[in-house]
This record gives sequence, structure tokens and C-alpha cells, in this order.
Amino acid sequence: MTNAQQTDTIDRLVGLSPTLNTYSVRHQRDKVVAATQKSEEGLFDPTLPGLTLAERLLVALLACTLTPSVTCAAEYRNRLLALGTDHALIDTVSTGAFNQLTDARLRSILTFTHTLITDPVKADKAALQALPKAGLSTPEVVTLAQLIAFVSYQVRVVAGLKAMKLLEQQA
Amino acid sequence: MSDLIEIKGFTNATLGWKAWLDVVSLDSATAEQIAVLEESHPKAKVSDYYLFLVHQPEVLKQRSVAFNAIMYAPGGMPRAERELGATVVSRLNGCVYCASVHAQRFEQLAKRTDAVIEVFNDPHTAGPSERERAIVQFSIALTSAPDAVSPADIQALKDVGLTELEILDLMHSVAIFAWANRLMLNLGEPVFP
Repeated sequence: MTNAQQTDTIDRLVGLSPTLNTYSVRHQRDKVVAATQKSEEGLFDPTLPGLTLAERLLVALLACTLTPSVTCAAEYRNRLLALGTDHALIDTVSTGAFNQLTDARLRSILTFTHTLITDPVKADKAALQALPKAGLSTPEVVTLAQLIAFVSYQVRVVAGLKAMKLLEQQA
Repeated sequence: MSDLIEIKGFTNATLGWKAWLDVVSLDSATAEQIAVLEESHPKAKVSDYYLFLVHQPEVLKQRSVAFNAIMYAPGGMPRAERELGATVVSRLNGCVYCASVHAQRFEQLAKRTDAVIEVFNDPHTAGPSERERAIVQFSIALTSAPDAVSPADIQALKDVGLTELEILDLMHSVAIFAWANRLMLNLGEPVFP
């Protein structure tokens, strides 16, 4: 395993190593590979002001659970566990029971996530304006929307590459 | 100019877009924000969309690098077909603004509108050729249920002649519109002429 491969999340989640043809195909678009990884690192940068890292990982966990993407949901769950997030909170989010949360800010963040993942056309002006009402600044709203949208992208790249890799292995 | 298409709330007309929350004003933008706007899109400084997203410049920067590399990189899948994938995803997600932009790009590149008309009417049966039908079907599958995409779905694309690089380009186009639609749909609204 090369160093570069260990640090690329999608290669790791799909199980791509340089000996696989699917790896070579993917890395013909290295600009996309690099920008995808940097997007993720930016969105989950622990020093990014605004939404806490735990809030961002919970958003990603809910997005992947609802899509669903089993592989990516497990990834974000593991990152939350590594961060030391309360197990009960992780379970509440991953079972979709976020309406029961007492933290109104987190509840509104996850409600917006739910709408954007399951039925994006329903996330209207009122859904967006609920976020500033729950105390989010405009840059925090931008972070949240980009995060949900990025995870929607990531799960599809992972799913497509997995299918391509499986076909290669069947040959 | 092309003929106007208006089907089921979707159109190829040129639409505007306005943000629902406050955008960054160029007068108060940082040097970093200006630089990111300039490398994102030729019209980013007069676009509500970019002026809103530039509240988080580094995230916008990487999104723009990914988007431009996916949609415009040379080689691989013909650009018209990437635009077809983008139009299908936007139609499925109900993003009227994105659908209008990418319907126009498809027409500019392919010099025809048949695929767009079919996608607007019913994406599930759309595709004037066997190859385009396969592209549309894969776009629907990866949008609607990504975890259910299987080796058979990849094989179906190979069967109509797509190379592996073309298949990768299609996956990226579909995936980047899962991203783009969720910004355009949820942060503001289209403005009709």
C-alpha cells in the first residue's frame, strides 16, 4: 500500500489498490480525485469555525443512513466513535430518531439534512430560513448545505466504483 | 437561438437565480474570496449562487475544481453525454434551474434537442439511441439508489460501447449533480424571464 492510497478516503472505502484496473481508471481523472479528497478534508477540518466536527459527522452519518450507503454510514459512525461522541447520540441519529433530540440546534440541522437527502425539492425557503432561526450564521448554513451536498456526491462515487471493481473481479 | 422547450415545469429558457439568505458583497469580500470567485466561473462575481457559496471560500474552491474537471476535462465521455447525465439527474431531483442550464449545454454540444425533450417528458423511457438510453438508465440508477448499483449496471454500459473512462466520467457527472442540485434547489430559487 502506498501512502497516497491510505490517505484517499474513496480508494480506502472502495478497496482500490494500484494493482486493480478500476484504480487505474479512477486515477486517470486525478484532478477529480484530488479535489474530492480536498473537499472532504475542508468540510471535516476540525479547525473549521462554525458547526462542530461532531455536528458535521452526525450530518454525514444521517445523510448516508438515509440514502442509504452502508459503507459510508459505517465510515462516519467510526469517525464519531473515534472522536468520543456519545454512543446514545450516534444511535439516535443512525436510527433516524433525531426528532427526539433535546438540542434544538442539532435537531434543526438534522431536519434540514433529512429533507435534502430524501426529497431535495421539498427543502424550500421555509426549510432554509429555519436554520438562522435556530441560531446558525449564514457561513454555517453554507457549510451545512455544502456538507450534505458533498456527501450525496461521495456516496455515489463510492457506489459506482464499487460496482466497477466487482465487475472487474468477476471477470 | 434554439426553440423554447417547456415541459412539465422544466424548460431550456435562460433563467436567473436568487439566494434566499445574504450573499457576500464584493466591497467587503476578502482577497481569498475574490480569488476563489475568479477561478470558479467567468460570471461568479455577478452570480448570487457563487456570492452565497463564497461565505466558505475553500469549500467553494475545491467544489469548483471538481466540477470543472468533471464536466470539461478532455478525452473520455463526450461532453454532450456528460450534460445528458447532468440533465437527467436535475430532472429527477426537480432542479429546474440546473436542468435549464444543462439542457442548453447539451443542445450546444449535440446540435439537437430530442434527448432533452424526452428526459423532460419522462426520464425513465428517455434516450433517442441505445447508447443514450443506457446512459439515462444508469444516471437514474445511481441517483435513485446508489447502493443498489451492481456490476450488471456497469456491464450494460459496456454492452453499448462505453469505455471504462467514459463510465467513470458518467459516474462523476451524475454524482456532481447530486451535489449541485442540492445547492441550487435549497439555497435559493430560479428567476423566470
